[in-house]
Amino acid sequence: MTMTRPAPVQPRMPAPRPPVTHGVATPDPEPARRLGPVGDAVTVLSMICLWLLVQTLVLGAVSENRAQNEAYTQLRGELAAATAPIGGVITPGEPVALLRFPSLGRELVVVEGTASGDLLGGPAHRRDTPLPGQQGVSLVYGRAHTYGAPFAGLTGLRPGDHVVARTGQGRAVFVVDRVRRAGDPVPQAPSNGARLTLVTAESTGPLSAISAASAVYIDATLAGTAFVAPAGRLSAVPDSERAMGNDPAALPLLVVGLGLVLLLVLVALVARQRWSATLVWLVAVPLVLAAAWSATDVAVRLLPNLL
Amino acid sequence: MSRARTGALLAVAGLLVASAGPMGWAAGPAVAAERQDAGFSTTKTVTRTQLVAGVSQVLDSRDVAVSVDKTVELWGRERIHVHWAGAHPSGGRAANPFGESGMAQEYPVVLLQCRGLDDASLPAEQEMSRETCWTSTRQQRTQSATESAAVWRHDEYATEADRAQKAGVSPHPDATTCQDVPFLSTHITPFRAADGTVFPACTTETMPPEAAVGASYPPSEMAAFTDVDGSGDASFEVRTDIENESLGCNQATDCTLVVIPIMGISCLDADALCTGTGRFPPGSSNFANEGVDDAVSPLYWWAESNWRNRISVPLKFGLSPDACDVLDDRAPTAFFGSELMSQAALQWSPSYCLRKDRFKFQLNRMSDMAAFALMDNGQAPAAMVSSAHKVEGADPVAYAPTAVTGFAVSYAIDRPDNAGEYGQLRLTPRLLAKLLTQSYPASSLGAQHPGMSKNPLSLNLDPEFQQLNTGLDTISREAAATVLSLSQSSDVVETLTEYIAHDAKASAFVAGKPDQWGMVVNPSYRGTTLPVAEWPLKDTFVPASELECQKQNPAVYLSQVAAPVSYLRTIAEAVLDAWPNVQTRCDRPTPSDPFKLGRIDRQGIGSRFMLGVTSLGDAARFGLRTAALQSSASHFVGPDDASLLAAVAHAEPTAAGQPFRLEQSVLAKDRAAYPGTMIVYTAAHTSGLAKADATKVAQFMRVSSTEGQDRGPGNGQLPEGFLPLRDGGATKPLYEAARRVATAVAAQVKARATGNSGGSVASGGSVPSGGSGGSASSGGTATSGGVAAQIPATPVAASPEPVADAGPVVPARAAQDGAFEPAPVAMTVPTPADVSRTGELLLPLLLLIALAGGILTSGLRLTTGRRRSR
Repeated sequence: MTMTRPAPVQPRMPAPRPPVTHGVATPDPEPARRLGPVGDAVTVLSMICLWLLVQTLVLGAVSENRAQNEAYTQLRGELAAATAPIGGVITPGEPVALLRFPSLGRELVVVEGTASGDLLGGPAHRRDTPLPGQQGVSLVYGRAHTYGAPFAGLTGLRPGDHVVARTGQGRAVFVVDRVRRAGDPVPQAPSNGARLTLVTAESTGPLSAISAASAVYIDATLAGTAFVAPAGRLSAVPDSERAMGNDPAALPLLVVGLGLVLLLVLVALVARQRWSATLVWLVAVPLVLAAAWSATDVAVRLLPNLL
Repeated sequence: MSRARTGALLAVAGLLVASAGPMGWAAGPAVAAERQDAGFSTTKTVTRTQLVAGVSQVLDSRDVAVSVDKTVELWGRERIHVHWAGAHPSGGRAANPFGESGMAQEYPVVLLQCRGLDDASLPAEQEMSRETCWTSTRQQRTQSATESAAVWRHDEYATEADRAQKAGVSPHPDATTCQDVPFLSTHITPFRAADGTVFPACTTETMPPEAAVGASYPPSEMAAFTDVDGSGDASFEVRTDIENESLGCNQATDCTLVVIPIMGISCLDADALCTGTGRFPPGSSNFANEGVDDAVSPLYWWAESNWRNRISVPLKFGLSPDACDVLDDRAPTAFFGSELMSQAALQWSPSYCLRKDRFKFQLNRMSDMAAFALMDNGQAPAAMVSSAHKVEGADPVAYAPTAVTGFAVSYAIDRPDNAGEYGQLRLTPRLLAKLLTQSYPASSLGAQHPGMSKNPLSLNLDPEFQQLNTGLDTISREAAATVLSLSQSSDVVETLTEYIAHDAKASAFVAGKPDQWGMVVNPSYRGTTLPVAEWPLKDTFVPASELECQKQNPAVYLSQVAAPVSYLRTIAEAVLDAWPNVQTRCDRPTPSDPFKLGRIDRQGIGSRFMLGVTSLGDAARFGLRTAALQSSASHFVGPDDASLLAAVAHAEPTAAGQPFRLEQSVLAKDRAAYPGTMIVYTAAHTSGLAKADATKVAQFMRVSSTEGQDRGPGNGQLPEGFLPLRDGGATKPLYEAARRVATAVAAQVKARATGNSGGSVASGGSVPSGGSGGSASSGGTATSGGVAAQIPATPVAASPEPVADAGPVVPARAAQDGAFEPAPVAMTVPTPADVSRTGELLLPLLLLIALAGGILTSGLRLTTGRRRSR
């Protein structure tokens, strides 16, 4: 399937030249065209990689920013109208809480559902746990590096730092206990109170800025009285919604998305035979870009949800 | 096994009788109480006389020796074996000796169960009489005849009152009650029930309720046949007050087995009918159910001439199965598991509940896998299983060998021409495979099944079967096309299918290779992978039929013929009653109702043919015949002590505390070893079990492996069908393993806390899988949070962090699939490692490729550009 990806990157090549259809519009062969098939393949491959990097690290941040704004507006309205969800089965993707990290100067809207796709729009709340502030332990997942990296640098939280959660039931202030990694003892569940466990990923080494090797947990205990947790939460979530889970259900959708990209490229090639290069480029580039963007968003759902 | 044991018991009984000298039957009760399990044996001289000119002349005198293999600690429906010698040879043999249908015989031996003891010194309510003897029809109690045909009125030994026209009960019931005809001679033997009610027993309506037509239990009283040499055998099924309340035998009420060798009525005159000596020659059969000479028929068992010849065998009954519930008000500690143990548990449990220093033991039958899972997640202290199971929880499980037993293929098969029961059934793995895979079409309906047109209709038509078992009939029956087996998951099915899988011919047959007579496996089962713990019903063929019933009830025919059931006990009772579970009978209450399918009728005695997979314990208790299974090419071995011992000798210990390895591949090499041998273990946690439970389980393991292995019929003893574990011989390793595991269970390594009395443990039970937190629905108590979400299924060591005394506990176990069970142990767990290679390497790799590609292409571009410019 990756073979169909050259299309989105071609428009970004400097001084694009007509493809193999020689002689119709541009009879003079350029030297750059003489790289041979190996050179072409390498170019295309590196362009795809570059596109993926740009999409996940840069363009993804844009879309996450927009999703956060949307979610913030919705949650704000719901909080004001006291219609924010507080329990039961909540549709994945609905905003459920606002998390504020005073020490990091960060404010994030938490959506429901921890599948890889739900985490594209910001931190997400695991569906089989109570909401932040409710009795029990609630889990909130966030991406460490991609799509705006909402939980990047969260491991810098120190014991005693505050995390403020605002849900339909009110404001809850959590005090960070510790950052917990694999092998550390799991703390006792609070008997009557609540705990918020933030989950993200980290790595060590020179490329740790873009690498997410293992999950890391930040425990924060509620200061004050926990809210009552309404009944009706899910009792289990599929593997795709657990830490480092990925969502193979996106595969069929990815096929459709890549097929669309391929179709657009072919249409552009045919159109190139009839109309001038400028016109075709002008029309085709935004369309192919948009299709590539959405196909990449789907492809990311196949990757670990904490990346 | 029962037959072999019977022989031994008879020998012992014979020796005891010889040493004790001639022993009158009246002394029976006291003597039997002393000899706990030696059965009963006695000899009595029975005579037939005739009064000639005022002098009683002996016409016939015989010394009848009767022996019974077991007379104490009897349970309901247990079959005891009665043997006699020296009786008058019988004639006009009936196909079915039970109840009324056994009446048309000459010189049989009547066997009856009666309440009370035959001891004149006892008070009337404890004494046995004709009126406390059970019969299931009124024809056996009330006779009406014209005066010339009323042979009992010529009885030399009867009282004047008994010889009257209307006799037996005084005052005689009025004609409306008994629909009596005034001019006929009538004799009534009423029945006195345990609660004192007297049933006139002269019509069907005036019989006790248990004698109703179509009662749940078939008749047990019988008129058994004596061979030409004067000897005979019978298996007599005893009934307790659970099966027959009116008869009312139980532990407190002794009963008597009355054996009446019919010699004929002793006449006080030369009446032609009364002096009759029978019209059937000895050894003959009475297929047509013709009339017999009344004087020598069992119909007049109550006549004083016959009754005085009786031999009374006192019967003592064991505690009823609910004795523990009645006598001990403590809460029971329930073990769950193998139904193979149910007969042993029945005898063992009173020895626990009746002692204050022991706990109240209870075994609930359940499939091995389910029982093990219950134990593993802490809902039961121990499970009884017969193979290793996968531990899902964090705490280790140890297996203590508890019993050596197994399964049997029990059967009830009659030889043709009224020649009695067949007793040497031999089966090969391939025959069992044919039966289980529904490869016999059973009838013309099943013969429509594609791919099976050449198969014989039922087992007894199969040439392979006929070679092994000669002299049986060739009538096809639906019940003979199947072996009644278990529907649910069981280690028994696993062992049985493993036996099939390890036989080359049988597994080739299942794989699709025809046998040498051209029979092929049912295509639905072709290639089935064996062994399996749960036998699948794979066939989907619905035959076409013109019959209205089949049109209204289209069903998978061969599955209805197989109709497996849930419990081994059900199978044992089905074989005992010869009542196949084949569900193909068409029935409707009235002609206007729709047809429905149901269970076919009981098989008539004389033409029975039914097989069932039972436990050895049930087979021994009910006196079922068990098939010899093929152990080598030409060798067949039945279940008995020797063959079980030979099999157990091959059991190899694996790791400490783990089940022994007893594989069919090893057993197949020993032709003396019974392939159905299974070891039942008590499995329990050696860590994390509550102290109180651990003590109980360890106590059970110790007691069951010592005094529980003494064979006998009493409380706490080991019943028939089980091989005792001994501290020596082939069972020594098992015995020692049981002792070691008992110690380990009692010690409970690393147990941190016992079950929490508060609600937190219970509420933790509904923690979401993957454990992310105390959900609201669980009562507000939170358990381990997000952490538990990622707990690996492997056991974890105790954490360095101290565990708070109070407060909730952290569930220490999380199953792989997310099933999260309440753990009664407080234990912290380390945060698991959730790693992802993709997450670690993907983005750096992309960056690397992009950079490398960029550099490579620019380099290429540069070189080509330079070449061209030159």
